[in-house]
Amino acid sequence: MKNFNLHGVMQAPVTPLKDDFSFDGDGFAKMVDFHVRNGAPAIAWPHHKAESLNLTIAERKLGAEIAVKTVAKRVPVSIFVGTLSEEDSLDIARHAQKIGADMLLTISPYCRRPSQEEIFDSIVRIGTHTELPVLTYNSPWRNGEGVEFTAELTKRLIDRLPNYIGMKDASFHSEKFLEISRVALKMRPGFSIIQGVEHLLAAYPLGACGSFSSSGAIAPNLCNKFYASLVAKDWVTARECQFKISRLWRLFKEQYPSSLKGAMIMMGRSVGPTRSPLPTATKERVEFLRKQLEELNILQTEPHGW
Amino acid sequence: MTKFKPGLVHTPVTPFKNDNSVDYATYTKVIDFHIRNGAEALALPMPSGEDMSLTDPELREVLKFAMGHIKGRVPVIAHVSDAGTSIAIERALHAQSLGASAVVSHPPYFWHPKPSMVVEHLVRIGTAIKTLPFFIMNPPVESVGTTLSTDIVLDVIGRLPNLAGVVDASLDFVFMEEVMCNGRPLRPDLQLIAGGDFMVSAGALGGTGMFSSLSAIAPKLVRSLFDMCKMEQFVEARGVQENIGALNHAIKAAGSSGLGDGLAGTKAVLASMGRDCGAPRPPVRRAGEIERGRLLEAIAAMPFLKDEPRGW
Repeated sequence: MKNFNLHGVMQAPVTPLKDDFSFDGDGFAKMVDFHVRNGAPAIAWPHHKAESLNLTIAERKLGAEIAVKTVAKRVPVSIFVGTLSEEDSLDIARHAQKIGADMLLTISPYCRRPSQEEIFDSIVRIGTHTELPVLTYNSPWRNGEGVEFTAELTKRLIDRLPNYIGMKDASFHSEKFLEISRVALKMRPGFSIIQGVEHLLAAYPLGACGSFSSSGAIAPNLCNKFYASLVAKDWVTARECQFKISRLWRLFKEQYPSSLKGAMIMMGRSVGPTRSPLPTATKERVEFLRKQLEELNILQTEPHGW
Repeated sequence: MTKFKPGLVHTPVTPFKNDNSVDYATYTKVIDFHIRNGAEALALPMPSGEDMSLTDPELREVLKFAMGHIKGRVPVIAHVSDAGTSIAIERALHAQSLGASAVVSHPPYFWHPKPSMVVEHLVRIGTAIKTLPFFIMNPPVESVGTTLSTDIVLDVIGRLPNLAGVVDASLDFVFMEEVMCNGRPLRPDLQLIAGGDFMVSAGALGGTGMFSSLSAIAPKLVRSLFDMCKMEQFVEARGVQENIGALNHAIKAAGSSGLGDGLAGTKAVLASMGRDCGAPRPPVRRAGEIERGRLLEAIAAMPFLKDEPRGW
C-alpha cells in the first residue's frame, strides 16, 4: 500500500456549473488547477460543498476523470464515493480505480440511521471491492442519526481491511476524536485522521494530520499559513488563523455551499449557480459577503482570478 | 471586570453512607484529598458530585459544610443548576452569602426552552449575584435538557458584565472555537474552561482552566495534563490526554448509565484505591460484581496509574 503522507489543509473543490446549471468541465479543471498551484497538498472531490448528491453518477465520473487528469500526479486525488445506493458507490469506486485516482473516501450506508454492524458490512463490501486505499467519513449527529465510526468500529475495520488508511472526522468532539486516534494510530501508525472542514486547531494536537478545506477556494494563503503555524507550534498565529477561518466558515455554512460560491465571485473566480434544492446566493448576499471578506482583509491579501 | 481565574478546578464526588445519607465525615477527607493533591479551586456539587440526586436543602447544606471545612484554603465555585430559574437564583444567592468565589450554572435542566428563554434564565441568575463572577456551562452531548449555542453565549456576554467565562463539557470543537472567536472581541478576558478532563483542544483554542472529575482517581495525571497545556505544550500533551481518555473510557463504560455519567465506575475505582465514598445514590445503579471486576482489571492494566495516591 502506497504511503501518501496526507497532511495539511487539503482542498475539496466546489463544482462549477454553467448558468443553465449544467456541469462546467472546463471551469472544474481551472478550479482544480487553481488549488494545486496554490499549495493544496491533496485534492478531494466531490464532497458536500461540491453538491455531490445533486450530481448524476455520470457527472461524478466525468468530474473524477477531469480531476485526475488535471492534477496529473502533482498531489494525491481522493474520490468521494458516498451515494444513496451502495451499488452506485461500488460503481464509482471501480471507475476511480480504473482512471488512476489515488484513494477513495466513503460513507455508507448513507442518509439512514445505520447500526454499527450495517456500517461495518457496507464499508467491508466497498473496501474489498477496490485495491485503492480507503478513507471513511465519520459523521455522527446527535440522537444517533448520521453514520458514526466509533473507536470500536474503526478498530474492527482496520483489522479487516489492509487498505483502510484513514478517516475524515466530522465528530468535532475531543473525546470521540481521541478514542479513535488512541486506538487507530497504535494499530496502524500513519492512519490519517483528517478534519472535516477546518476546525483543525482543536484536533491537530490530538493527532489530526490535516483537514479537508472549504476556505481554500477563497483564502488559500490563509490555509497554508494556518497549517504551517501548527507544524511550528506557533499557537498565537494558529489561533489568529483559526479564528479568521472560523469567521469565514460561519459565513459559508449559511446556505452552504451557495455562500461559498457567492464569495468566489468576489475573488474573481466565478463558479456559477448552485443546484436546487439548495439556493443560489442572491446579489444582496454576494454584496454582504464582499463586505465581510474586505473586513477580514481577505479581499486584499488573497489571490484574485484563476 | 473579574480577575478570578480558577485554573485547575477539581469537582469532588459526594460520598454517601449505606443508608444513602450524605457521609460528611468522609466528605472532609475527600475535600482534604483534593486540596492536598493539586486543586487550585473546587467546584461543587457538580454532576460528578451527583447534584441532581441531592435535595435543595442538601445542596445548600453540602456547600455550607464544604466551605466551613475548606476555610478559604482554595476558592469555591458553587454549582447552582436547576430546572427552575427562581430555584437556581435562590441557590446562587445562598452560595454568595456563604462566601463562594464564583457561581456556575448549566442552562436549565430538563426543559428545552427557546434560546431567548435560556438567555433569560442565565441572565437572571447572573444578575442576582451582581458582581460575583459567573460561569455558564455547556453540558456533555449525552445529557438531557438544553445546551448552549454560540449565539446564546454571545447574548449572555452582552447582558452580563459579571460573566467570567464558559465551562465546556460538550467537548465540541466548533462551539469552543466560535465562543472564543466571537466572544473575545466582546469580552477580551472571557475565559474558556475545559469541562471534563479533555484540555488539549480547549487549551489550543485559548482555554485557561479545566474542571476535572478524574482528579479524584488520578490527580497526578490530571496535574500533568493541566501543566503541559498551561505551558502550551499541546502536541506533547497528547500522550497524557490519551491516558486520561483511556481511564475515562473505562469508567464511563462501567455501570448502567444511559448518559455515560461514570458515577458508578468512579465510585468503584475510588473504593479499590482505598478511598471508599460509598455507592452512587439511586436512581444511579452501583456497578455490578462482573462489571466492577472488568473495570478494576482494566484499571490494573493502566501502568500510568501506578504512581497515583492510594488511601487518603
